[in-house]
Amino acid sequence: MKELLKSSYGPTARLKQVHNNIGGAVVTTSTSSVLLQAISSSHPIVSLIKGSILNHVSRFSDCGLFASVFCLSLIEEAGRCDLSQNVIIRVNKHLLSLCTAHLQQEDCGCKVQLDFCSSQSLITLARSVISSKPTCVLSEPESAHISRLAVQAFLLTVPCNIPDKVRLGRTVTIPMEGHSVLESAVFPGLLLDTPENISLGNLCSPLRMVLFSASLAGDLSELGDGRIEVHQGVDTDSQIVDQLLELGKQVLKDEVKLFVCQKVIHPVLQHYLRCNGVIVIERLGISLMEPLIQLTGAQPVATLHTTVPWEAYGEVHVSVRPFGSKTKLHLHPAGKTTICTMILCHRNETMLSELKLVCQKTEHVLRLTLREPCALLGGGCTETHLAAYVRHQSKNDVSESSPVLGCSQTEYLLAGEAFCRSLESVATSLEHDDGASLIDLTHAHHWTLPSDATEEHLEDAAALCGCGVVQSCQNKKWSYLNTEYAEFSPEPLLTASPLQPTVLDSFTAKVNALEVAVETANLVLDVRYVIQDVN
Amino acid sequence: MVPLEQLHLSHVLQAVSALESIVLRSFGPEGGQVLFTRDTGQVMVSRSGKRILTALHLDHPLARMVVRCVWKHSTITGDGSKTFVLLLASLLRIIHATATKDPHMFQPHNSTEASEAATARHLADRLLEFALTELDELIVLNVLPHGFRVSLENFTAETHDLSCQTLLVSFFRTRLGYAYCDFFRNLFCELLSHWKVKDDRPSFSIQFLNNSFLALHTQVSGVPVSCSRLIEGQVIHRDFATPCPQVRKQPLKAVVFNGYLQPKLLTTGDVLELRCGDKVTEDRGIVHFSSWTEKSVESIIATLQSFGVSVLLCALKQSSAVLAAATQAGMCLVECVSEEEISLFTQLSGVTPISDCRRIHPEHIATLTFCKPLLLGAHRYVHLDFHDCEERLKVKPCSLVICAPSEGQADQHACAFQDAFRMLLTALEPVRKTQTALEETIPSKKCTSLHADNISNGTACRVHLHQKCVTETGCVISAGGTFEFLLHHALHQYGHSCSVSVNTSAVVPVSQLLAKALLSVPRQIYSRNLKHFLQAQTRVVALIPKQPHALSANFIHTEGPLGDGKLSLCSCKNGNMSLKLLDLGLESVSCKYQLVLAVLQCLTNLLRINMVLQTHAVLHTESHDSLNAHSESSEGEDED
Repeated sequence: MKELLKSSYGPTARLKQVHNNIGGAVVTTSTSSVLLQAISSSHPIVSLIKGSILNHVSRFSDCGLFASVFCLSLIEEAGRCDLSQNVIIRVNKHLLSLCTAHLQQEDCGCKVQLDFCSSQSLITLARSVISSKPTCVLSEPESAHISRLAVQAFLLTVPCNIPDKVRLGRTVTIPMEGHSVLESAVFPGLLLDTPENISLGNLCSPLRMVLFSASLAGDLSELGDGRIEVHQGVDTDSQIVDQLLELGKQVLKDEVKLFVCQKVIHPVLQHYLRCNGVIVIERLGISLMEPLIQLTGAQPVATLHTTVPWEAYGEVHVSVRPFGSKTKLHLHPAGKTTICTMILCHRNETMLSELKLVCQKTEHVLRLTLREPCALLGGGCTETHLAAYVRHQSKNDVSESSPVLGCSQTEYLLAGEAFCRSLESVATSLEHDDGASLIDLTHAHHWTLPSDATEEHLEDAAALCGCGVVQSCQNKKWSYLNTEYAEFSPEPLLTASPLQPTVLDSFTAKVNALEVAVETANLVLDVRYVIQDVN
Repeated sequence: MVPLEQLHLSHVLQAVSALESIVLRSFGPEGGQVLFTRDTGQVMVSRSGKRILTALHLDHPLARMVVRCVWKHSTITGDGSKTFVLLLASLLRIIHATATKDPHMFQPHNSTEASEAATARHLADRLLEFALTELDELIVLNVLPHGFRVSLENFTAETHDLSCQTLLVSFFRTRLGYAYCDFFRNLFCELLSHWKVKDDRPSFSIQFLNNSFLALHTQVSGVPVSCSRLIEGQVIHRDFATPCPQVRKQPLKAVVFNGYLQPKLLTTGDVLELRCGDKVTEDRGIVHFSSWTEKSVESIIATLQSFGVSVLLCALKQSSAVLAAATQAGMCLVECVSEEEISLFTQLSGVTPISDCRRIHPEHIATLTFCKPLLLGAHRYVHLDFHDCEERLKVKPCSLVICAPSEGQADQHACAFQDAFRMLLTALEPVRKTQTALEETIPSKKCTSLHADNISNGTACRVHLHQKCVTETGCVISAGGTFEFLLHHALHQYGHSCSVSVNTSAVVPVSQLLAKALLSVPRQIYSRNLKHFLQAQTRVVALIPKQPHALSANFIHTEGPLGDGKLSLCSCKNGNMSLKLLDLGLESVSCKYQLVLAVLQCLTNLLRINMVLQTHAVLHTESHDSLNAHSESSEGEDED
């Protein structure tokens, strides 16, 4: 399992094809959530890890593969070093608190403060999420375009005048197959499917609209479980239709021009309204109700028998937007809105569904930055940096920590070494083309080296480190990962760094992934035996 | 005619040993977790013996009976389920050995097996009788002097009682492992101090927490354990059914509904007749009916508005018309609130739920300081707090959020919390019946439990001291087998004096059996290293000879207001032996006492059975051969 997930990690990852034995749809993916869901392992420990990671991914949408690879290598390393499980668990927990404390510090070497004034770092963050999912098959300009769109959509959903409670808007994603990725776009407001042959010629904006959440199909649902006996000569249907038309009359009298219903509208009522120049949209669906309410300020009407109150009406601007072969009704509000629509285009269905998933994840990751406006260096640099830091710290505090944790100094160092090696192995697994992974011994960043390069050409081959902050220069010392090197304290970067990081990871997601990975590994290490219920 | 299975002692022993081997691996400080998986993909992680055993779905009737006993015991005390099985197995083993060695000592029987069973039954009965009459006294005399007292009286956020904390740490360690015991101990203490009713007994608030724990905690998965925390007020595990309005005036008014807001026109069995030409329904027909229900909803909402109510909590799902009416009136409505949460809400707010919508009175209306959505993990819940709770109930209501990477783990932590409440409740119970038992037994046979060289004036003074002790609650003793060592020693002494005084060497002293069985528990604790076992035993036994001095020294401290500083002081005086034991944590004496009693009761029950009757509802008249084959349920099934 580790090999499987390792090879899916990072931007140059290999893709996985998942298909089940009963001939279901073939899914091509390297996303952890899809991949892990598809694995139905018979081994209970694997399903335990799987459950933890999937829970993490559903909360934070990112760093799922990081967590799983790290967790698995922790377990592997623990098995390799010959220590009692209790000792490893305690040391792991101690080192984890060391890591999180270091990451929370202001001057942590691998943390970057996000600047909301310029969208550059946000786009970088979005781009590292998007480019880590190679299934989308995006070219360089395409992924740049999508990242820009994602950030644009995100910024549109952040309300401008912030009251005491921030309420984010919604991005409605509409997938469109068969167009180029570069045709994807973001609009403020909502795009709805239009009924056939619609003319807006004689309508003046803004329109008054009414929104029904009750079914207008003419059924009686709320009467209860009792039986209804209908005597001859009673025409209940016509009574109900009469009632519906009564409703239509009232709506027309109130000069409503847009009539939207979540469910089905009776054809007679539809016809009646259309003849009187009202745009009728039915079967809106529950998912679009909430954004539409936010957009127009209309309140959904659920009753048929009382007159529609004046407050229930909303106002909206309407225009028709041709999009490819389809035309869409574009609703945009009178004032500012936090609702926007993102149209995603791609060449085929598989890529499109992955792209849609990626965009949702990106949105989520971007939203997480609101809570904690910083990011971590990507490209394996955070991992190597942390490993170097932990190694340094654990060497220093060995005499204080080991009695507290109830183990000998050697045990403490051995377990600490296992922890660091697991961190480094996550960084190593970013490289899939037989290249070597290196660490520089001043800043502890991660460098990759193509397999054909040799030690002498190190400076030429690797010009930039994994995250793109540190430039290669002559006087640096290097060491291969997974080899012994003298411990050192990683130097902080100079504040006036000339280079912008090119790869960023979400801070909140990564810290959570780190904790989840260690806790899951600890849990697995604590399991003594397994009982399988086959009933 | 009926398929029978003669039950031999060895069968019982086999079944219990199988259970023992299951719990053994998660027993003691070196024990670990057990992972359960179902075919549905559910994963459960547990170190609790109760959960492990109940999750097994055993087939064997005897094993099921044992599991039921364990379950009953640990539901009450919240602790000791693994020790239960261990002790039961070792008692059975010893009884089995005694019975096979000496089958005819009780009365002659025609077959060896029958006499064996009779002997075993007899021994078990006598053991139970002994435990019911003598054990509490023995514990008071020989174990309590070495224990400490836990009190929750001065349980405030700053000055926790050290011994209580140690008790909780050792409890959480046996449940959740080393990694989180300190963290959860702190959380537990914080929760307790929030809920502590001022000038009232602490056990009252623990009882309340235990009862309403289901409504008080929220499990969140996918987040690290360290995110677990307390939040003020109550969390209702439902989302708002209507959009929650943004800005509101404080405080809010809330009501609770038990029924439907919209009247059900036609209940099952009712018939609505629609006739033509009927004067009443002629004008609108069926439409008239549905408009009438909508009107009635509007009138209810209007009544609520006149009271200024803005939050509706409903036990049932409401119709969409109700939701729309509430939305238009600007009220937030929460549907399908569970029974436990409604009962907690009514207890905390002091209001009664509305069952008849037409009669709404001021006593139905609660006042809240806030009511807002709360995002926990994947779910959105309703978070509210009560307005004047601190004045009215003298508590600060708060709920617990338990986080873990996976659902199974969160569930495990929640269970540990619940059991911690039960354990504390049991620990705070005084060792019952002791006072009366002492007064009765001591004058008649005063020397029974004492050393032969102990003189009577010492006894008198001791009785005085002990009577003070029984009124005290919450006695704890260092963990790691101290209780077992001490009781073993006491029983040994007791048995010795008994056999000397009564001088009936034919009767095997039952106290010796119990003493022997008790030793198996610490033997398992130190199973990795026999040397540690012997060291621990000598350490504990070394305390005993200087008992008179240690005893009085201890009691002076326990009688005074025992602070945390004095506790360590007291153990220092006793030499550093008990100080060393303190590292192992503490456990409750009354839990242990109840455990021994429960085990003996279960044992007696087990041995009274001599036959297993397999009844098959379907196959009742079928051939007996197949039935007999079926009734041979094997112990191997226990370990599936």
